[in-house]
Amino acid sequence: MPQIPSTDDPQTTFRYPLRWRIMDALNYGLDRFWPARMSPYTGWALIMPALLLVGILVLGLFEMADSSLHTLDRAIFRPSEAYTLENYQAVMESATYGRVVMRSVFAAGLTVFFTLLLALPYAYIMVRTTRSAVRKALLVTLFLPFFIGQVVRAYGLLIILGTNGVANNALGLVGIEPIRLLFNFPAVVFGLVQYMLPFAVLMLAPALTAIPRETETAASSLGANWLQSFRHIVLPMAKPGLIGAGLVVGTLSLTDFAMPAMLGGGSQDFIANAIYDQFFRTADQGLGAALALLLVVLGSVIVGVVIALFGAGTLGMGSKK
Amino acid sequence: MSIKYSRRNILRAGLATSGAALLTALPASRLFAQEPEKPSEIIVRAWGGEWVESLKKGVSDRFTEMTGIAVRHDLTEDNEIQPKVWAAVAQNRVPPIHINWDTTTNATKSALRGVTEDISDLTNLANTTELAKPVGLDGYPMVNTYGYVYVLAYRPDAFPDGPPKSWRDLLDPKFKGRIALYNDGIGFHFPAQVAGGGSLEDIPDNMDACWDFVREMKEQNPLLGEDPDFTTWFQNGEIDAACTISTNALAAKKNGVELAWTVPEEGCKFDTDCLWIPKGLPENELYWAKQYINLALSQESQQIWLDGLGLPGVIEGLTPPAGLAGDPSYPTEPEDFEHLIRVSSAVQVQNESDWFAKFKEIMQG
Repeated sequence: MPQIPSTDDPQTTFRYPLRWRIMDALNYGLDRFWPARMSPYTGWALIMPALLLVGILVLGLFEMADSSLHTLDRAIFRPSEAYTLENYQAVMESATYGRVVMRSVFAAGLTVFFTLLLALPYAYIMVRTTRSAVRKALLVTLFLPFFIGQVVRAYGLLIILGTNGVANNALGLVGIEPIRLLFNFPAVVFGLVQYMLPFAVLMLAPALTAIPRETETAASSLGANWLQSFRHIVLPMAKPGLIGAGLVVGTLSLTDFAMPAMLGGGSQDFIANAIYDQFFRTADQGLGAALALLLVVLGSVIVGVVIALFGAGTLGMGSKK
Repeated sequence: MSIKYSRRNILRAGLATSGAALLTALPASRLFAQEPEKPSEIIVRAWGGEWVESLKKGVSDRFTEMTGIAVRHDLTEDNEIQPKVWAAVAQNRVPPIHINWDTTTNATKSALRGVTEDISDLTNLANTTELAKPVGLDGYPMVNTYGYVYVLAYRPDAFPDGPPKSWRDLLDPKFKGRIALYNDGIGFHFPAQVAGGGSLEDIPDNMDACWDFVREMKEQNPLLGEDPDFTTWFQNGEIDAACTISTNALAAKKNGVELAWTVPEEGCKFDTDCLWIPKGLPENELYWAKQYINLALSQESQQIWLDGLGLPGVIEGLTPPAGLAGDPSYPTEPEDFEHLIRVSSAVQVQNESDWFAKFKEIMQG
């Protein structure tokens, strides 16, 4: 039986490693700061920062809700005292806002469709490739845009797609006159798809990784070609990832400001641009707040409907649907 | 009584004599009114590009040279700084800027809200023309510093038959997608009222003619943007014509773009920009902010600042920049204003939001 070193015996003094002592000190500190009797509340303590953040957001929404119930008094450029629903009425009766809302929703839908269409094969190849160099190249290509902000990327598109840009120069080489590629609805959707692609790939990759490779092998051993296997095996099993990515891309696109502002040429506004105009151009914070709340409601309803119909996908964190 | 003529006494007498001489030579205000403590810097909100460069050269650098106080230029858009200043004053916080370089219409909104300091005690106001005085407001909650014209800027090679004579010339199908306007239509509403067959007297009560013409213009699929966009679009060959402030056209021309501008027969909008100080600054900073504006109204500063902008100032006797004497974008004489449209700030402030909304409604369709 091994002898336990005694601290009284200088010949057998045992020094704890530094790492152990640090851990002991941290444990002691934690015990003083958060005694064991508080352990039932540990979960709440961990979630508290997130609750605080959400709380601030909700407080802001209450403030905006209050603001939306006051019209702008143009004699003194302050909100009027009286509570009224006039701002909401103005939004509902305005043909402009109706068009802007429809455009935002339609563009968000198109962006989701095209982004998923491009992201799925990208993520699939990235996950399934056996060549490390290909995977690394795809990862680098995926992450590079994250270092560049949305505004810079939009400026990049302005340079590439401009009348004298690279794209038109290339068309000129085959005798095609310069065409207007920018400042229209397709340019905005193109910019959004380009911006959203990395988000979608990142959300799809874990879902595709979770599909056992053997399932596809089994399908092919039973006679399915690659396309059949992709359609009947990969797509259905990737559904949680597709829904999660679709929700993220859809909500980000619906609330986007920069792409319509920079690539839309001023005539392709989304709801966020209309909100900006009210807050910063006409100083009508009440109307801006009403529009902002309607955007929150619209986004929430769309997300709610999608979750009700298809589940939350990977955003559901494994919950059953 | 014997007087000792020591070296020390002679030095003392010399100092006392020179001190007395200084007292008589300098204005009393310089000697007895103690200048408040100088802040390390003052912050002036400004527009970027050619605009801020001109302000820096004409006013800010001279101010720093004279006072030792650094000037920082905050390039936040005028519309974006407005709610920040309003919020700061409402919450009794020190505002984020010392001086706001603003459009007179926007500044009038701030004055009506009561967030502007009165600057009627500036000494250089005595030398200014009528243009400097804000209309329809008591005192000087702001001071106009120059006027400008929303000209029709164009590429001469797109108009081989000579400058466009009318705003209606832009409806030629060859300009489809080749025209630019401000994204809220500012500068275009009033000439559109005339081009649409209406009368300026009907503003603001009946602007149907304006909206009819804007609808016609919408068919041309114009680009809509802000000041920097116009310069960029001209440089990149995206547009052939634009309703823009002459300074932007001048900037593009300085950057090598072949560009000219004109005032069509229906006229162009004339307006003013101004400087104002938000409420809530510490006393000493308020003092130095006022000194900055006072300097901006001096003959020398106006000359240098407005040479850069190519705009007429509010001090008599300024020399027009090279090539701009007699130019329609540089009105100085009464007859120069005959084709320019000036609508009071009060009317603009009360109706601007509706005009912007109507313009958007048409253009977003």
